[in-house]
Amino acid sequence: MWFKRKGIWLGVILLLLVALLGTTVLGCIQRSQPKGWSGGTVADGTLFLGSLEGKLVAVDISNETRLWAVLLETPAPAGGGCAAPSVPGAIYGNPAVDGELVYIGGYSGKIYAVNSNSGAERWVYPRTGKLKPIVGGPVVSQGKVYIGGSSGKVYALDAATGDNEWEFQTGGEIWSTPAIVDETLYIGSFDKKLYAIDTITGKEKWAFETQGAIVVVPLIYDDTIYIGSFDRHFYAVEATEGKQIWQFPATDEDKNKPESWFWAKPVVYNNVIYAPCLDGKIYILDAKSGEELAEPIDVGSPIASSPILVDSSIIIASEEGKVYSLDTASNQVRELTSLKEEEKVHAPLSASEGTVFIHTDEDTLYAVDSETGAKRELYIE
Amino acid sequence: MGIGEVWDLIAMRPMTNVLIVLSHQLAGSLGWAIIVLTIIIRAAMLPLTLKQLRATKAMQALQPKIVELQKKYAKDKQRLGAEQMKLYKESGMSPAGCMVPMLIQMPIWIALYWSIMKVLAATPEDFLGLSRYLYSWPVVYSALPLESIFLWLNLATPDHLLLLPLLVGGTMWVQQKMVTPTTADPQQQAQGRMMLWMMPLMFAFLTMQFPSGLALYWVASNIITIAIQYYVTGGWGGLVSARATKPTGKDKKYKERIVRVEETPPEHEALEADIVVPSSTQEGLEDAGLGDKRQDRGGSYPKSLRQVRRRSGRGRSRRSKRR
Repeated sequence: MWFKRKGIWLGVILLLLVALLGTTVLGCIQRSQPKGWSGGTVADGTLFLGSLEGKLVAVDISNETRLWAVLLETPAPAGGGCAAPSVPGAIYGNPAVDGELVYIGGYSGKIYAVNSNSGAERWVYPRTGKLKPIVGGPVVSQGKVYIGGSSGKVYALDAATGDNEWEFQTGGEIWSTPAIVDETLYIGSFDKKLYAIDTITGKEKWAFETQGAIVVVPLIYDDTIYIGSFDRHFYAVEATEGKQIWQFPATDEDKNKPESWFWAKPVVYNNVIYAPCLDGKIYILDAKSGEELAEPIDVGSPIASSPILVDSSIIIASEEGKVYSLDTASNQVRELTSLKEEEKVHAPLSASEGTVFIHTDEDTLYAVDSETGAKRELYIE
Repeated sequence: MGIGEVWDLIAMRPMTNVLIVLSHQLAGSLGWAIIVLTIIIRAAMLPLTLKQLRATKAMQALQPKIVELQKKYAKDKQRLGAEQMKLYKESGMSPAGCMVPMLIQMPIWIALYWSIMKVLAATPEDFLGLSRYLYSWPVVYSALPLESIFLWLNLATPDHLLLLPLLVGGTMWVQQKMVTPTTADPQQQAQGRMMLWMMPLMFAFLTMQFPSGLALYWVASNIITIAIQYYVTGGWGGLVSARATKPTGKDKKYKERIVRVEETPPEHEALEADIVVPSSTQEGLEDAGLGDKRQDRGGSYPKSLRQVRRRSGRGRSRRSKRR
């Protein structure tokens, strides 16, 4: 009798343990949290970036030391089950710097302006409540801050006070950072359109429709907007009228099958467009005609991090953490260095005086020499 | 090619892309796509589900005899094992009959679960990761990102109205209750009760944290299972019989007779001859097509038991009338 009871209780305990384990494991697997992939912005010898801990960090480039770090995003409770006691707020966009203020948007749905010297908060928008998550970065121009949000709106805020100047509603979420020339703002949306918006009135000038969502930051060069789409095509669009100049399909070796999304911002140098793609290739295109000038460079891993031009070389970081230098004269690529195996790179690259800054998904900030590939780890926490 | 890549190639990528295409075909509704894909997959696996249900039902029916054997050979484990195997063999079934169909279905459920998680892409990182699972079909890349609003739900976030946790817990409870065997053993009853409540509560709790899209899959899957159980195992099973078997005079008499029969020291030959089950479970056995193997060959049981079986037959016809 005792054995029978004991067996039943053992069964019950085992069952409870399995249930607890199941809850924990499933909960942890499911609860993938937004981490963030903020890249750096360099201004006056200081690098500003959003850390994975939800902090806006300022790093002195000359001695590679942290000047200040301010917690913007309040950690959210983890909800039990997983190891982390709380989840840091995520920051995805690059900060924008103008004068003594640094601007950044948080995934929690707030836009912040802080003093670039001290990190003291100047204003926050909205003052009460929250917007939908913000993934793109802000841009400052002529006294206004412009930023897109997952609500599908483009917000124009007074740069000094954070007051709302105007809002423009698109038909889908906005994850892209805007680009501005004169009085026109260009931004892509999940509704598959590239919008041109008047920065004074907040009214639409034109919209160019593709077959897929757009998260790429528009590149503006010689009165032309260059942008890639989820429809696996790269487009050149006339800046004033929004008419297509050319389109280029990212294709495989057989030239008959589209490969993957365009995600990272392209680079232009000497009338040549270098368009990175999640298929792991950089397409080399003539800016005027869209013709392929050379075979695409294949780095073997998706390119989600926007490359950067340093002198006449384009520095590229693949998702798996390999860093390459593409010589624009010969269109040859060489590997500069490899980051730690477990680290992935999604954040856009930034550079200053021959040094490239790479922020990984493990919250490590690397300073990589663009010539030699020598790398140093900068601790931002 | 690693096992993860093989898994992605044969399970994750096809399932993920089908889900996206379905969503596109159903006016961009991911919610309907999840429901329709769940129905398609459950329909494709129906033969396996039926096999599993029937085998489980038959195993439950054997339970009284197993208990009897356990009592009889409590001190001789080797003999107990041999007798159990003999019983399984003579009844034309094996414990593996329940497990094998379930094991075959498991990878498909897991793939469906992960595909839904992938497509929901609750964070920007998830969405970026989705790109590597996509086929080159134009419809796939033009359909993304999918619309995550369905009825009152944002499929990528938990249901804050808590209706979905209630639905998940409720449907799971009904599903479990239908197949919970009735037993006279109070300890087994307690164990059964715990199982009956623990799983629905656990899943209801998980639903409060999981994206609603996944919970929608659970609700759809539970409802399909309830429907299959209803048609295959004959009615609502334990859901209504628990009330139906409340103390009427006839039931009491019936129970007493069963107990009397079970208390009769079983002869070895009797065990080999037949398996006696309460009338409520006998239906399931006949449904399962095992009836021909389990016909009363006569002579092995006292006359009183045959009377019980006849009465149970009458009871069955009355129940089917009610239905």
